[in-house]
Amino acid sequence: MRFLEDPPRFLFFTGKGGVGKTSVACATALELAGRGKRVLLVSTDPASNIGQVFDITIGNTITEIPGVPGLSALEIDPEQAAEAYRERIIAPVRGLLPDSEIAGITESLSGSCTTEIASFDEFTNLLTDTVAYGHYDHIVFDTAPTGHTIRLLQLPGSWTEFLSTGKGDASCLGPMAGLEKHRTVYANAVRELTDPNRTRLVLVSRAQTSSLIEIDRTFAELTEIGIRGGYVVINGVLPVTAGDEAIATAVRNRESAALSTIPTSIATLPRDTLELKTGNMVGIAALRTLFTTGSPVPTDDAITEETADAPLAALIDELEKDDHGLILCMGKGGVGKTTIAAAVAVALAERGHEVHLTTTDPAAHLTETLHGIVPGLTVSRIDPEDATRLYRDHVMATKGKGLDDNGRAALAEDLLSPCTEEVAVFQQFSHAVHESRHRFVVIDTAPTGHTLLLLDATGSYHREVARQIGDNLPFVTPLMRLQDPEQTKVILVTLAETTPVLEAEGLQQDLDRAGIRPWAWVVNNSIAAAHPDSPFLRQRAANEVEQIARVRALTSRVAIVPLLPEEPIGETKLAALTVGAHQSV
Amino acid sequence: MPTIRIYEPALCCDTGVCGVDLDQSLVTVTADIRSLQELGADITRHNLASDPTAFTSDETVRAFMHTVGSKGLPLTVVDGVTVSIGAYPTKEALLKFAGLRAPDAAPTQRLELGLTEKATGGCCGGTGCC
Repeated sequence: MRFLEDPPRFLFFTGKGGVGKTSVACATALELAGRGKRVLLVSTDPASNIGQVFDITIGNTITEIPGVPGLSALEIDPEQAAEAYRERIIAPVRGLLPDSEIAGITESLSGSCTTEIASFDEFTNLLTDTVAYGHYDHIVFDTAPTGHTIRLLQLPGSWTEFLSTGKGDASCLGPMAGLEKHRTVYANAVRELTDPNRTRLVLVSRAQTSSLIEIDRTFAELTEIGIRGGYVVINGVLPVTAGDEAIATAVRNRESAALSTIPTSIATLPRDTLELKTGNMVGIAALRTLFTTGSPVPTDDAITEETADAPLAALIDELEKDDHGLILCMGKGGVGKTTIAAAVAVALAERGHEVHLTTTDPAAHLTETLHGIVPGLTVSRIDPEDATRLYRDHVMATKGKGLDDNGRAALAEDLLSPCTEEVAVFQQFSHAVHESRHRFVVIDTAPTGHTLLLLDATGSYHREVARQIGDNLPFVTPLMRLQDPEQTKVILVTLAETTPVLEAEGLQQDLDRAGIRPWAWVVNNSIAAAHPDSPFLRQRAANEVEQIARVRALTSRVAIVPLLPEEPIGETKLAALTVGAHQSV
Repeated sequence: MPTIRIYEPALCCDTGVCGVDLDQSLVTVTADIRSLQELGADITRHNLASDPTAFTSDETVRAFMHTVGSKGLPLTVVDGVTVSIGAYPTKEALLKFAGLRAPDAAPTQRLELGLTEKATGGCCGGTGCC
């Protein structure tokens, strides 16, 4: 393993949810401890918590791992950290301000930036306190701060002023109000991070285009703020032992196609490949196999766990009863939202309905090939980058027009905040929402419940709508429409794996705060639903059963879409996703 | 020197750029306040989300939050006297409150607003930029 050669003191593992960062971090910590080093493993992953992996209770105190000399571990729960962080700000005024105001402040501090900054706050000590943690040879983190967080911590003058006088002056410092430490502590932490002799960044990906794009973006962002060098780990590549039935061959072809188009900036980095294992990475023995190849194939014929089929077609039957409505496919990147949205749109159009599919599909090939092919189906596409750039340019040209240099600098700085993209895209697709009174509108993205709540709370959108339709007419805000199950059906898309299911559950909770209840869940790319033959894939399929059961407990409507031998691109293959219960593979 | 305190609704960024409908008055007031601070004025913004204790430590503001609430923000207080609610003061007004005169040579160009109905809007006021 190249990323394990001459490791520096700090190792950070980053990558999209579900790629196996925590497993790789745990296996790395075991490996380093095996070399006789004193190692501290730090996890901020609420999903596959390392306590479970090592079968002990860890929590937020440093705990020695029994049976592994030299290895200790610590768990930081980001949500708990954010909660403590919010509490530091809110506690002094609770009871002094009306409850409704407290609720408003709490929501303002419930976004992802707050969670990120709170987590980073928690682990700055680990990077800088040489008295308390200096005796560890290595500290291994199963996560890494984003470029945005580091940029915030690097903001020059305004930051010092913010902490010393409480005068917030720059972008997004609101959520930083709860920071406790002195600025030099954060500066030291950032310096440790950007020194390649002290810190190694390991980008973990699956052999899939979307997760490769994700690490490419992370790498570009972190390079920009001064982190140099990086290692790539491709996790979970299907081994030869998985056999060569159609579905296995298809997965292998897809993996090599994805790897052959790996983004150039990360293509030149040192790279290691890890094989997919049949079992879950739980327990010391399993983790020790992660860096090995040719692990034994289960020969046991007792792998009989099956999951009931749940065809996507059943959801279409229900959806088409209304003849119109808004259908939002939500989910984390890479779970196949766009595919599901396109399949739903094609099915509805083929059943004779008028449908507008609008997507943020970055590749464009999936959906643009549909335009004009199916009668009744209109396709439009929002490019998030274009939308964001247009929005920024528009704001600078209009609102920034009369400002002096200082003012323009402040505005430009705020426009670099990551929420700008969400708002810019939201603005674009809100036009399509209006059409859903007369036909089906299927969208493969949606703002988070957090954003919707805050938009609604300010009422600026209400006023905008009210002004457009006149004074005395009743009106419906986008949030009110999204909250009405008659008008809007939210479909949560996920994969039958631990982290993606947990992330989707998080999305469901976030929507719940905004009064929106997902109408159905779709489990995409299921190996179990593909009914494979080889023992290897059948063992993988059996591993899915627990996650599918978990999904069934979270919702009353589930569709399970099998992993397909060919990527569903084009009208015929998309239509095949919504035909019957049993699909041939 | 008079102390000017502006109490604002929950914003995660001062210019409020993450809103669906960006509030010009936030952009303008951010620039105005910077320029007044450079002239030495004692002027401070307090954001409800990041600095809520400022809203409880001053009796005038605390009472305002109970009778009117955050919907009535922004609230501008000069030496303990409420001078404006529901909209940001203009730069001229701020200069007057601060006992300062605009630099004679090149007064900073500023936009006419006419956007009072959106004074408490804003995005971060907001949307969750963060």
